[in-house]
Amino acid sequence: MTVEKLNRQRVLHLLDTIAADDLEAALSCCTDDIDFLTHAPIDVLPHMGPCHGKQELREFWRTVQARYSETRYQVPQIVAEGDTVAAYLRVFFKKRSNERIIQVDMAVFYTFRGGQVAQIREIIDSYDLVQQVLEREIGPLITGAGADGV
Amino acid sequence: MTEHSLWRFSRALHRAINDRHFEDIEALIDEDVEWALYGPIDMFPFLGARQGKDAVLDVIRQLADNFQVRRFDRESIMLGVDSAASMLRYSLTALDSNKPISLRVAQFAQFRAGKLISMRVLIDTFDLIEQALGRAIHLPKMTSVG
Repeated sequence: MTVEKLNRQRVLHLLDTIAADDLEAALSCCTDDIDFLTHAPIDVLPHMGPCHGKQELREFWRTVQARYSETRYQVPQIVAEGDTVAAYLRVFFKKRSNERIIQVDMAVFYTFRGGQVAQIREIIDSYDLVQQVLEREIGPLITGAGADGV
Repeated sequence: MTEHSLWRFSRALHRAINDRHFEDIEALIDEDVEWALYGPIDMFPFLGARQGKDAVLDVIRQLADNFQVRRFDRESIMLGVDSAASMLRYSLTALDSNKPISLRVAQFAQFRAGKLISMRVLIDTFDLIEQALGRAIHLPKMTSVG
């Protein structure tokens, strides 16, 4: 099996462990110094800052688990080359608070070292994500018409 | 060793946006291409999903009408046989305001016979909007909702 096929399988396995809420299995796929970076407004999503190391990533995933009862992934496209894998993901989160589903498309770039994930970089349509999290249009906040203490 | 389709497409795309030279890019897009730049289409009409070559060329013309690419750096790139994924840092100028805009962009492309058949692009859209507005959007602090 080529290293690309192997790494692609490793990414799919990592996603399966996250979807199964098995955080320790997910963390076992990562290096001790795992470096995770996503981009989202921390006003609304304060847990989505950068994470360095397994403990910070564990806390991040625990926060996600605490807020969402279910996580599902679809992988419409995955590209691997050498020690890197890029996955285009469609992710569904079910909110614990009201069981509403948030659907987010994200690009995730994984870098492997010694068969483990050493770096994760995400790009998300963050404007859409914020609207789904808040369950409201944020256009009025931009124009100032709806800054009503949301 | 032949050049990967991504490189030809990338050169042609930048030539279309910066020089308004559309002939090269037109030749590299499949008639049935699927295209999606995810983001708020009410603020940026060139975002959203398109199907077919004519619709995609129209989007590229709109991009050329609105932006100049000053610089781009590929932070990460993966090339498959007929596919490619890359994470790029773009430095643009918004032509209407002359404002600089810096964007991190993820591209997922698929090719057939050297022509683009699928392109999905994800952008940190919240950041894009703040830069276009020239100010921060003040959101409520929501520590437990998402």
